[in-house]
Amino acid sequence: MRRMFRLALVVPVWFIVGCGGLDQPANEIVDGGEVVVDLSGDVIKGSLIAAGTPGVDETTTVYGYKAYKIPYTTTDEEGNSVEVSGLMVVPTGLPEELVAGLGLSMVSDSHETIFANADAPTQIAGATSSADGSPIILTSLGGFVTLQADYIGFGDSADHYHPFILKKSLANATVDFINAAKVFATNNDINLNGQLFLTGYSEGGYAAMATLQKIETETELQVTLSAPMAGPYAVEALARGVLSAPVMPIPSFMTNVGYAYSFAYDIDIASIVNEPYASSLDDLFDGSKARPEIDAALTTQTTGVDGLFNPDFVADFLAPEDNWFNLAARENDVHTWVPQSSVRLLHCLGDDVIPYALSELTEGTMLAMSGGAADVSIVPIEVAVTQDPTTALRYGHVECGPVAYSVATQIFAQTRAATIGY
Amino acid sequence: MTNIKKIITLSALTSGLLVAGGYKIPEQSLNGMALSAAYVAHTTGADTAYYNPAAMAFMEDKQHMEGALTLVHLPSNEYTLFAPLSGESETENILIPSGHYVANAMGDFRWGISMVAPGGLTKRWKSPYQKLYAEEFTLKVVEINPSMSYKVSDNFAIGGGVRLIYSEGVVNSDGGAIAPIKREMEGDTIELGYNLAMIYKPTTDINIAATYRSNIDLDQEGEANLYFGGVGQQYDATVSVPLPAAVNLSISKTWNNQFTLELNYERTYWSAYEDLDFNYGTTIGNPILVGAFDTPLERNWEDTDTFRLGATYVMDKYTFMGAFAIDETPVPAETIGFELPDSDAKIYSMGFRYQYSDDISVGAAFLYTDKEERTLTPGVAENAVLVNGGTFSGGGAFLTTLGFSYEF
Repeated sequence: MRRMFRLALVVPVWFIVGCGGLDQPANEIVDGGEVVVDLSGDVIKGSLIAAGTPGVDETTTVYGYKAYKIPYTTTDEEGNSVEVSGLMVVPTGLPEELVAGLGLSMVSDSHETIFANADAPTQIAGATSSADGSPIILTSLGGFVTLQADYIGFGDSADHYHPFILKKSLANATVDFINAAKVFATNNDINLNGQLFLTGYSEGGYAAMATLQKIETETELQVTLSAPMAGPYAVEALARGVLSAPVMPIPSFMTNVGYAYSFAYDIDIASIVNEPYASSLDDLFDGSKARPEIDAALTTQTTGVDGLFNPDFVADFLAPEDNWFNLAARENDVHTWVPQSSVRLLHCLGDDVIPYALSELTEGTMLAMSGGAADVSIVPIEVAVTQDPTTALRYGHVECGPVAYSVATQIFAQTRAATIGY
Repeated sequence: MTNIKKIITLSALTSGLLVAGGYKIPEQSLNGMALSAAYVAHTTGADTAYYNPAAMAFMEDKQHMEGALTLVHLPSNEYTLFAPLSGESETENILIPSGHYVANAMGDFRWGISMVAPGGLTKRWKSPYQKLYAEEFTLKVVEINPSMSYKVSDNFAIGGGVRLIYSEGVVNSDGGAIAPIKREMEGDTIELGYNLAMIYKPTTDINIAATYRSNIDLDQEGEANLYFGGVGQQYDATVSVPLPAAVNLSISKTWNNQFTLELNYERTYWSAYEDLDFNYGTTIGNPILVGAFDTPLERNWEDTDTFRLGATYVMDKYTFMGAFAIDETPVPAETIGFELPDSDAKIYSMGFRYQYSDDISVGAAFLYTDKEERTLTPGVAENAVLVNGGTFSGGGAFLTTLGFSYEF
């Protein structure tokens, strides 16, 4: 009707007035993905200075930030193919002779625990067209290509349950993204030098360790150095600690573990989580809600009739005999193996969510299993920052993240300088 | 090809004037231009259908038609403060056609139709800080205005019409080296309004007239590309600006069927323009883009008064016309922006018509709008640049019209 009006009104009288509509944005076209962020180093530097970022001033070298959303295929916990997505962030503005001659080193950075799909790396980048999170440190300040898989359950696979703390599919999603990114780089003239670092914080620390294990045991990929950060590597030990405590400060984490494991191991969620919570989890974990909203819908009381977890489930798990969850958690532990490449376990001494002791346990287990031969060591973040082994500085889990990424970037940069030459 | 045709056609049609305060264009015919729109009580040609449809009732009973083509030259605006905030807009040259027709009387009724461009605005800045707000800000308006008159008595008639409006808007903003943001928006709309008119002839040489045009909200609907850095996303987008209601009161006196003076007062209800509020179909995720392009801007324009005095002198085959007008700007100092750095104006115009034959006349008119320099007091304007003060100068408009009329 509206078009008829226009035609009747305009065409006969004013010759022809077309209604072509606005052209689509003139974004760069790439092969096998889409550009979702493209910012110059000056813009990034300006925002970092405006935000009061420590250590950044007009003299700081800050690279540009070009992020690509790349679709690829991976395999879920059940062995099914899943169409997923990841974010590849490439530094721009580096000297051309350096990029062409020495190539770019790559960091696979597995993201931390998220619940809302809007918080997935490709979703943030797509919605805001702006730099966000750890790639600012790794790419704009460190000059690394940063890879962030959305994981199964987010981004292009948002309709799939997220395999929270399930090592097989987390590693699949990450390794497959590393391979997809290498193909993407080849197809789009991004010169990589073959150097690969692994990192990630919290769930991402766990995913990074799972990825390293998969790479070293199942693939031809070579990892230069890994720096998993504050990850729950020892799942059974962590679960035992959480379920033994009378209250959970952040109930969404352990509930998400129970929810994901109920799918992966085909267990009725009602046998793990009490009602009315059990029947609300499909809604709570549907990707539309962030952690605060989910936590508010749950109780912090760990178990009991009015608690979150089914008392029978908790009792069985804590009993001397193994139940299914003991076996499943142990199957997903990522600390009971011996890495062949170098691993630095970054963890804050003051971590109030993922205990520092888990990294100690991981280091100790790996060294014990290798007879002390593995190149695995802990880097306490507070000590790395202050260069004082006796420091009283303590960061909690949330505050620790950005600091840990800065330390990881320094470690990677030192390694790159020693091996590649810049 | 479609886009090229569209650009050519619309550039020739409407576009960007600051002929009157705000973005309304009162001059829509040869006589209207020559008389600076002091042309409501004493209308003589087919353009009566537009300026006062009631007066069609008293026109000679034959068909009247006329057309005109106006070349609009808009000198650049200059904004002077200090480098790098000072800037200059583009000079514009635009062609605008218009057409009018009045049919034979049907008893006491008579109808006519006009095709005009009753409003328009274009401002394109070429300096960095100004482009951040108005790299291009264009509003194009085309109106088809069928109207009817009814002769109530031998000295009193009423009239009215329907206003069919087609409008397009273009808003481009480019932060360039200042900020990594850019907006491209195009929208269009079809709207309806109405107009009313009356004319009273207390004596054979005095006409008293009043007209009213309704407010029409131009609810532009289209798309917007918003860029942050080198990446843009497209959104459905809407923005609304009013084509304001206006009342005209006029009186004319003719001496010896030869010399006519018309005094016209126009009240334009610009207070309908309260804010400039772009709305988008989906949520914008980038807070910087939200701050720059999705935050309503108060406008709070003010109703304005315009006073016009026009003179017409008829001698044999020639008719000479001239006028002077004083025009207020509706734009308050607090909300002035680069898209329309308007100011009070004085308008001067003149023209002639030559009776080529009994049926055909041709003529030309020239109008000059002299915009006053506008100095902003620091701390008053809400715009982040204009809050520093500064002076707008230049601008104004030179309009040259060629027209013909035919009666049969």
